Amino acid sequence: MSLKSTDKHQNSPNHTADSTKLMSTKALTRLLSPVKNYLIAGCILAFLGSALGLAPYIAIAEIAKLIFKNPDTSSQTIWLWVGIGIVGAFLRLVLLFFSSRVGHVADAEILHKIRVRIVRHLGTMPLGWFRAKGSGVIKKVMTTDLEEMHQLIAHSLREMIGAVTAIAVSIGYLWVVNWQMTLISVAVLLTMYVSFRIAMRSVTTHMNRLINAETKISTSAVEYADGITVVKTFGVGGRLLSRFDNAVKEHTNAFKIWVSETQYSSAISRMFASEVTLLGVLTITGLGFISNGTLTVPDFLPFLIVGIGLPTAIVPAIHGSQGLRKGRLSASNIETVLLQDVIPESNNSQEPQEYSVAFHKVSFAYSENNDVIKDISFECPQGTVTALVGRSGSGKSTLTHLLPRFYDVRQGSITIGGIDIRQMSSEKLLGSMSLVFQDIVLLRDTVRENIRIANPDATDEDIIKATKSAYIHEVIEQLPQGYDTVLGTGNIGLSGGEQQRLTIARAMLSDAPIVVLDEATASLDPDNEVLVQRALSSLVKNKTVIMIAHRLYTISNAHQIIVLQEGTIAEKGTHQQLLNNQSLYATMWEAQVIQC
Amino acid sequence: MIRRLYKLFPNKSVIVRLTVLHVFRALLEGILLGVLVPILNCLLQPQPDFQSIKIWLIIGGIGFLCYLVLTVISSPIGFGASMKLAEQLRNDVMNRVTRLPLGWFTSDKKAKLARIITADTGLIAQLAVTIGAPAIIAVLVPSTIIVVTFFINWKIAVLFLAVMPVALVVLRWTGNIAAEAAIKLEEAATNIAGKAIELGQAQTVLRAAGKGTEGTVQLQQTLDKHRIVYRKGLKRSTLPDLTYTGVVIAGFVAVILSVTFLFIHQSVSIPEAIVLFILAVRFLEPLAYLIELNGALRAMDNAINRVQELLQTPTLPMAKYPVTDIKNASIQIENITFAYGQNPVIENVSFHCPQGSTTALIGASGSGKTTLIRLIARFYDVNNGAIKIGGTDIRQLDYNTMMNDIAIIFQDVYLFDTTIKENLLIAKPDATEAELKEAATAAQLDEMLERLPNGWNTKTGESGLQLSGGERQRVSIARAFLKKARIILIDEAASALDPENEQAISKAIANIASDKNRTVIIIAHRPATIQSANQVIVLDKGKVVENGSPQDLLNQNGHYAKFLQQHQQRKEWKVEG
Ligand SMILES: Nc1ncnc2c1ncn2[C@@H]1O[C@H](COP(=O)(O)OP(=O)(O)OP(=O)(O)O)[C@@H](O)[C@H]1O
Ligand SMILES: Nc1ncnc2c1ncn2[C@@H]1O[C@H](COP(=O)(O)OP(=O)(O)OP(=O)(O)O)[C@@H](O)[C@H]1O
Ligand SMILES: [Mg+2]
Ligand SMILES: [Mg+2]
Repeated sequence: MSLKSTDKHQNSPNHTADSTKLMSTKALTRLLSPVKNYLIAGCILAFLGSALGLAPYIAIAEIAKLIFKNPDTSSQTIWLWVGIGIVGAFLRLVLLFFSSRVGHVADAEILHKIRVRIVRHLGTMPLGWFRAKGSGVIKKVMTTDLEEMHQLIAHSLREMIGAVTAIAVSIGYLWVVNWQMTLISVAVLLTMYVSFRIAMRSVTTHMNRLINAETKISTSAVEYADGITVVKTFGVGGRLLSRFDNAVKEHTNAFKIWVSETQYSSAISRMFASEVTLLGVLTITGLGFISNGTLTVPDFLPFLIVGIGLPTAIVPAIHGSQGLRKGRLSASNIETVLLQDVIPESNNSQEPQEYSVAFHKVSFAYSENNDVIKDISFECPQGTVTALVGRSGSGKSTLTHLLPRFYDVRQGSITIGGIDIRQMSSEKLLGSMSLVFQDIVLLRDTVRENIRIANPDATDEDIIKATKSAYIHEVIEQLPQGYDTVLGTGNIGLSGGEQQRLTIARAMLSDAPIVVLDEATASLDPDNEVLVQRALSSLVKNKTVIMIAHRLYTISNAHQIIVLQEGTIAEKGTHQQLLNNQSLYATMWEAQVIQC
Repeated sequence: MIRRLYKLFPNKSVIVRLTVLHVFRALLEGILLGVLVPILNCLLQPQPDFQSIKIWLIIGGIGFLCYLVLTVISSPIGFGASMKLAEQLRNDVMNRVTRLPLGWFTSDKKAKLARIITADTGLIAQLAVTIGAPAIIAVLVPSTIIVVTFFINWKIAVLFLAVMPVALVVLRWTGNIAAEAAIKLEEAATNIAGKAIELGQAQTVLRAAGKGTEGTVQLQQTLDKHRIVYRKGLKRSTLPDLTYTGVVIAGFVAVILSVTFLFIHQSVSIPEAIVLFILAVRFLEPLAYLIELNGALRAMDNAINRVQELLQTPTLPMAKYPVTDIKNASIQIENITFAYGQNPVIENVSFHCPQGSTTALIGASGSGKTTLIRLIARFYDVNNGAIKIGGTDIRQLDYNTMMNDIAIIFQDVYLFDTTIKENLLIAKPDATEAELKEAATAAQLDEMLERLPNGWNTKTGESGLQLSGGERQRVSIARAFLKKARIILIDEAASALDPENEQAISKAIANIASDKNRTVIIIAHRPATIQSANQVIVLDKGKVVENGSPQDLLNQNGHYAKFLQQHQQRKEWKVEG
C-alpha cells in the first residue's frame, strides 16, 4: 500500500547510525539478490518514464517562450512542440506501467521466497529460542517486516528514482534557460532539505523508542487476549490493563517529546517544501532580475511552469528514501532471524541398528551457570520401560526434551543404539520416537490433519484405528464436521481430557520404536483413564519407553524407576528395591497411599 | 469514510478546527496563484507595467505571510490530534476486548487484534491528520483555479470544469477496485500472522512429525494463497492507478491542444495564452497528485473498517442498572441449558450451593464440568435458565463486582510473561508481603522459590513455559489463594503434581473450603477430596445424573459408587515392559 503524506515527514525513520546502516544495506542487497535484474529493469524504466514525463511541461514552457518572443511563430513549430509533449506524456504512461509491473512481479516472487526461507529456517533452530523470544518475533518478521520490504520493492525504490530524475531533469532544463534563477530555486530546496535533516537529526533514538512502545502495546494486547480467562477472573481493569495503558502512554510520550523537539525545524522544512513559497520567491526574484536585466520575460516563464512544480517531486523523494530506510531496517530484522544458529547436523549421518537409549554423563542448563541436569547417566535397554519420577521441577521434562534434541546437552552425550543422537539426521531421530508431552499443542487445522501429522503416510483407516484405541473416535464423530472439523475456530473446542486423548492418538499412529510419555494421563478422569491406560499398554508393547508419571502406582511395574532430585539421580531401581531403600521414593509412595 | 472517521474521533472540536485551517490554507494557495494572473498580464505587455505589479505584489505578500502563519500553527494542532486519536482508539479497542465473550478469542481473532491495536490504529491516527491537508489542497486549489480561469477564458474554464468530475469519478472507481484487492491482501496477511504464531508454538509437534522445516500443509497453503491473492491484487490495482494517470494526462493533452488551437485561431491573446498555460499546469498537478493520496485514503478506509468491526462486536449484554452488591456467596443453578454451537453440552442442570458449602463435580471427560465453571463465571451466557449468586441473576450483576468475589483455578494454566511475583500480584495488586507469603506457602511455592536462582523474580516466559508443569500449576493456585474471594471454582488442581505436593495442596484447599463464608465448587478426581465435600454432583453428557451427599450417593450404589470403583481399578493398572 502506498502511503503518502506531505505533512508528516517527521513520523518516519530517517537515518540510522552509520554502522547499522551499512550492515542493513548489505542485508537488503543479499535478501534481494534473487530478483536483482527485475529491480534494475524497474528502476531504468522508472528513470526513463520520469524523464519523459517532463516533456509536456517543457513543451508548454517552450511554446510560451516562442509565442511571446515572436508572435508570428509559424503554427507548425507550435504544433511540433505540442506533438513532443503528447508523445512524451504517452511514453511516460507506458513506461510507468511496465516499471510498476516489473516491480510487482519481483515483489510477489521475492516475498514468497523469503517467507518460505524463514519457515524452513525456523524448523532447524533450537527449541529454546521459541520459548524465550517466542511467537512475537516470528509474527513481526513474517508480517510487518515483510510488508516494509514490499513497500520498498514495489514502491519506494522506483518512486525515489523517478522523483530524483524529475528534479534533476527539471533543474538541468532550467539551468539552460537561466542559471541565476535556477540557483535561487535550488537554494530554496536546499534550505528545505537542511531544515528537514535538522528535524530528523535524532530520529533513530525517537524511532527506537516508538517501536519499543509499539511492541509493548502489541505484546500486552495479545497476552491479554491469550490469557483472557485469567484476565476476566483476576485482572479486569487492574494490573494487567495497566501494562497495556502504560505502553500506550509511553508511545504517546515518546511521540510528544519528538514533536516538541522538532517543532520549529519541521515547520520550516514544511514551509520551504510548499509550492506557494517557491511561487513567492520565484516571482519576487524573477521580477527583480527582469528589472535589472539579468532575466528576460520569456525566460521567466519556464520557472513559473516547471520551477514551481519542483516541490511536488520532493515529497515522493523523501517518501522513497524513508521507505528505503524502513526496508533496510526490516531486512536486517529478517536477516537476524535467518542467521540464528541452527541445531548443527552431522554430515555423515548414521542410523542405529537397535533402539536402546543411553544418557552418558549429561549436563544441561537453560541459562549459564545453573545446571538443571547435572551429570546424569542411565541406560534404557530396547523394549524396557523406564520411569522418571521426582518432585515438580526436578528436571524430568527437561530430560525428555533432550532426547529429541529440542535442546542440545551442555556436556556428555545421549545415544540411541550406541549412536550419538547428534550423529543422526533430524528426520531419522524424530522419526524413531513418539512423543506425548505435558503441554498439549493442537494446530488450527482439521482433526484429521491434527492426528495425521504424526505420520503423514497414514490412511484414514489407520487414523480411525488410532483414535479408537485412544477412546476419542466417538467424540470426533460427534463434532459438526466429524474428522474434517477445524479445531480452534469459534464454537469448536475440546475438553481437557479430549485434547489429551487426541495427542495420545497421534502417538498411536506414529508407532515408533521409542515412546516418550510426559504425564500422558494427568487430566483424565478415572472413567477414561482406565480405558486410555489399556490403550497405552498396547502402545508401549515391545517399545523402549521413557515415561514420567506422578501417579506412582502406574509405574510400579516398570523395569527401572529413576528418581530425580534437583537434576541428579537420587535413586534408581525397581519399585520393590526403592521401597526397601526407605528413601525419597518410599516417602513419595507413602504420600500417595494416604491420598487415595 | 469521513463521517466514520469523525465518529471515531475523541475530540471533535480539534478536527473541526484543523479542517477549517486547512481549507483556509488551500483557498489562500489558490488565490495566490490567482494573483499571478494580473502580475503576468502587466509583465507580458510590450512595456512591462512595474507600477501596477507592485500593488499586486504587496497583496500577494500579505497573503503569503498569512499562508506561512497558517502552515506553522496547523502543525502542532495536527500532531496533538493524532496522538489523542491513537491513544483513544487503542483504549477503546482494549475496553471492548475485555467485554467480549470467551468464544471470540480464537487464534485468528487474536492475530487480528494484534494488527488492529498497533498498525491499524496507528495508521488511522497518522493519516487522519496527515492526508487531510494534502487532500483538501488537491481538491480546492484546482477549484479556485477554475474560478480564476473563468475571468480569462470561459471555454478553457469549462474544459477544466469537465476534466475535474471525470477525474474524480475515475478516482473513485479505481479506489473501489483497489480497496477490494487491499481487503483480500489484508485477510491473507492476517492469516499468515495467525499461522506464524502457531508455527512458533507448535514447533514441538511439527518436529516430532518431521515437519519442522516445511511447516504444516495449512501453512504452506496459506503462503501459497497469499502469493496468489497478492499477485491478483497487484494486477488489479496497477491498471486502475494507471487509468487515472491516463485520464489526467488526457486532460493535459486536451488543454494544450485547445489553448494552442484557440491561440492559432487568434481567439486568445499572447498574454492570455501564456497565463492559461501556466494555470493549466497548476490545475493539473494537484489532480495528478490525488492518485498518490488515494492509496493512503484506501489504506485508512480499510483500517477504519477493521477497527469499527471490532468496536461493534457484540459483547456479553450488561444490565442497564447493574446490581453492585452481592448479598451472600450462595450459588443457585436453575435449569440451565447451554451450547457452544448447535449441540447442547449442558442440559437442564439445576443445583444449589449454599454459602460456605463445598460441592464436588464429577463426571466423564467431556461431560461438561469445565463448561459449567465457565458459565458460573459468565465467560459465556446460558441459553436457557439462570445462574444466581446471592440470589441475583448474574446477568443483573455488575461484572466487576461479581468477579471480585470469584477466584478460579483453571485446568489449562496460563501465566503472563513476567515474574512469578507479578503473576501473583495480578490477583491482588495491593497485597502485602505477608499475604504473598501466606498464599505461597499454602500453594507449596516455598520450595521452588528457594530452589530457583531468582526466587520471586524468576521469569515465567511466554505463557509460563519457562517453568515446569508443576511449578506453573502451583503459581496459578497461589494466584487464586491470594485473591481470597468468597467463591472459589477449582478445575482439576494438582493434576500435574508429584504426590507430596499434591497432598499438601489438597490440604490447603480443604483449609480454604472449611471457611464458613466461602463457597467452593471443585472438579475433583481424588476420592479423598470428594468424600470431604458437602455435596457431589455427577454429570453425564451435560445432565445431572446424581446429586447428594457423598454418603447418600455411596449407598445408592449408582454412578458415584461406580466412579469410586473405577478409581480403585485404575490403581491396579501398571505399565508392563
Ligand atoms: N470452547 C469450546 N467450544 C466448543 N465446544 C467445546 C468447547 N470446550 C468444550 N467443548 C465441548 O463441550 C463438551 C464439554 O466440555 P468440558 O470442557 O466442559 O468437559 P469436561 O467435563 O471439563 O471434560 P474434561 O474432564 O475432559 O476436562 C465437550 O464435548 C467438548 O468437546
Ligand atoms: N524453558 C525453560 N527455561 C528456563 N528454565 C526452565 C525452562 N523449562 C524448565 N525450566 C526450569 O528447569 C527446572 C526443571 O524443569 P522441568 O520441566 O524439567 O521439571 P519437571 O521435573 O518436569 O517438573 P514437573 O513435574 O513440575 O513437570 C525447573 O526449575 C524449571 O523452572
Ligand atoms: Mg514436567
Ligand atoms: Mg475440563
